[in-house]
Amino acid sequence: MEMDSLPNGNSAAASPPQNTTPAAAGGTTPFPKLTQLTEALKLEHQFLRVPFEHYKKTIRTNHRAVEKEITSVISNVADVSDSENFSKDDAVNHLTSLVSRLQGLKRKLEEGSRTEHLQAQKCRARLNHLESADAENLAEWNNTRVKRILVDYMLRMSYYETAEKLAESSNIQDLVDIEVFQEAKKVIDALQNKEVAPALAWCSDNKSRLKKSKSKFEFQLRLQEFIELVRGENNLRAITYARKYLAPWGATHMKELQRVMATLAFKSNTECTTYKALFEPKQWDFLVDQFKQEFCKLYGMTLEPLLNIYLQAGLSALNTPYCYEDDCTKEDPLSQESFRKLASPLPYSKQHHSKLVCYITKELMDTENPPQVLPNGYVYSTKVCIFLVIIM
Amino acid sequence: MELNDIKDAFDRVAKKQKLSCSKTQEVIDLIVQEIEKALETVKSASHLDDKYVLTELKRRLQDIAPLGQLEGTQKELNIALSKYTKILEKSFNPDISKAYRNIEFDTHTVSQIIASHFYRQGLFEVGDCFISETKESECSAAILSIFEDMYQILEAMKSGNLEPALKWAAANSDKLTQNGSDLQLKLHSLQFVEILRKGSREEALKYARANLAPFASNHVNEIQKLMACLIWARKLESCPYPQLVSQTNWVTVAEELTRQFCNLVGQSYESPLSVTIAAGVQALPPLLKFMTVMAGKKQEWQSMKQLPVPVELDKEFQFHSIFVCPVSKEQTSDDNPPMIMSCGHVLCRQSINKMSKNHSRTFKCPYCPSDIDAAQCRQLYF
Repeated sequence: MEMDSLPNGNSAAASPPQNTTPAAAGGTTPFPKLTQLTEALKLEHQFLRVPFEHYKKTIRTNHRAVEKEITSVISNVADVSDSENFSKDDAVNHLTSLVSRLQGLKRKLEEGSRTEHLQAQKCRARLNHLESADAENLAEWNNTRVKRILVDYMLRMSYYETAEKLAESSNIQDLVDIEVFQEAKKVIDALQNKEVAPALAWCSDNKSRLKKSKSKFEFQLRLQEFIELVRGENNLRAITYARKYLAPWGATHMKELQRVMATLAFKSNTECTTYKALFEPKQWDFLVDQFKQEFCKLYGMTLEPLLNIYLQAGLSALNTPYCYEDDCTKEDPLSQESFRKLASPLPYSKQHHSKLVCYITKELMDTENPPQVLPNGYVYSTKVCIFLVIIM
Repeated sequence: MELNDIKDAFDRVAKKQKLSCSKTQEVIDLIVQEIEKALETVKSASHLDDKYVLTELKRRLQDIAPLGQLEGTQKELNIALSKYTKILEKSFNPDISKAYRNIEFDTHTVSQIIASHFYRQGLFEVGDCFISETKESECSAAILSIFEDMYQILEAMKSGNLEPALKWAAANSDKLTQNGSDLQLKLHSLQFVEILRKGSREEALKYARANLAPFASNHVNEIQKLMACLIWARKLESCPYPQLVSQTNWVTVAEELTRQFCNLVGQSYESPLSVTIAAGVQALPPLLKFMTVMAGKKQEWQSMKQLPVPVELDKEFQFHSIFVCPVSKEQTSDDNPPMIMSCGHVLCRQSINKMSKNHSRTFKCPYCPSDIDAAQCRQLYF
């Protein structure tokens, strides 16, 4: 079998690389590892933001409790000093009780400070984790990242047991947000049980921030409670409820308010579609979704699970028409049916530089192992061609 | 992105928080002091009227203005907190979902992928827990049993037991040889070295005769070296072939076994989920950069057939040949294949057609100025 060993225009033995070799195309060498690592770290905003928001919230809550207690004690003193009928014993008892209240406050402050310290440690641990990524331990660091992304997915989908097991198995409890999601779990479980109380408590805890983002979540909770009163045919109570809790939202959400108020005129088994929808149990699922969104926004988390974001980008980048052929190498994730299914609505990847992979060895054909053209037009790597020469 | 700057900003936050805490304690102590003073005065049979004492107390407390005192440290703390938030938003990409298309991933498919991932990484308990929480049917049962076998072999190797590995290698020796792998020999060598390490020369010799001999014809040098090690039984540290007796060989052989095992059962070496996520990590930065520029065109983004920006992934993600025509900058396809010209340079068919005005004239190759006749160009197959 004859072979062009050097398929170039000139027949000289040593030849300049063809334009098929990546080096000639210029710049196909991947980013220096350091730049790549920096870019990868830049994707970790959520990783640092969530524990920080949690820390901020604890600080805020603790401080508010202190303010409240101090105000109460001082106004208590004012009351006592202003009142007319206080005996000496009463005064002594009162003052003593105030002192013990303040001692109690000091203890609570200590405790609160300890919690804040732990949360600060968590923030620091994450900063250290980002710092620890370097060329030597990259494989392990990447592996940890996969686990972190999976725990995030589990928590969003409410698979709490799996999340905990996974976190424990690799000791990454500090690097994942299980406690933060436990807080959400309470609200979600209650909403799924058709109870709004924990959700309303959450709204009041985060009042100022929800107001800043112009959230109408509390309004939606109140509307649902109203609907439940109407469903139970407690129309008078419903009206009282509306006066107290829905009216304040009227200025900004009049249309919605009117629509829900109209349900008073119908019964819960109405056939009228507009209002039938309001009585559907699906409305509770909608509230759960709304909560999840508000929750994620508050903590600086993406709305979609990290897994979906990385998968979509990765699948698209790997997506070529050749992946769907039968002889696609097993090492390509898109050779698997499940991955193909996910990738089918996604765009193909785009490249500006040629990269040739030897069909036989699956290795990249580059300047060290350049491609060779056989007379029949098929291209293989030099290694393969040499092998063919030897065995022939 | 300077991690040190970020750490400093956080340290400032922690410092301000401590200050705020100690100031609060101080203020509370002040209040307690005043109340206790008043208490003492009231309790003692002093000539001062109780009411007067209490009014004095109220006035004192107003003067101290505890909440006002706290305002200062609180304000500083809030400034530090918001500075940290800002530095986070500046140093990191605050929203990596900008490049996300609103396409629903089928939950079942994703669960399948995750379950398979857990099993092939050896996280069997986690996998089982996941399957029971998601209430997915036993679709991953096949993967589970395959990898359970593999991990049993690997676990045994970790505790120094080569039996299961040897059994598996023997059972698959034909396929292993076909793949060009000398795993069997490597495993036997490990066993041989271990026997030597424990000190029994005769046993080692017997083992070599029985198990290393069959490989003698193809691996003469290696076996010679191994046999030479007999002299250093019990003193293997001083043997002249340290790389043959090193403990790290166990790790390399385990890796080789994993690679061959996966190959033989038709699985990839790396978990496809890990590979895809790693590809995503490399793909997101250019995609996100593009989105900040593209801002208004969300509609187009949702429906494109090909990514609008090139995403260059590392070598390990190249599974297929991509040829980009240097003239048109387009990727070749079945409809527009790469063609080699008589000078040895390669362009895509459409470019050749264009430059030769549909085969009506010769043109000059853009790389070397040779004359090219379009009809003589041959198609290349990667």
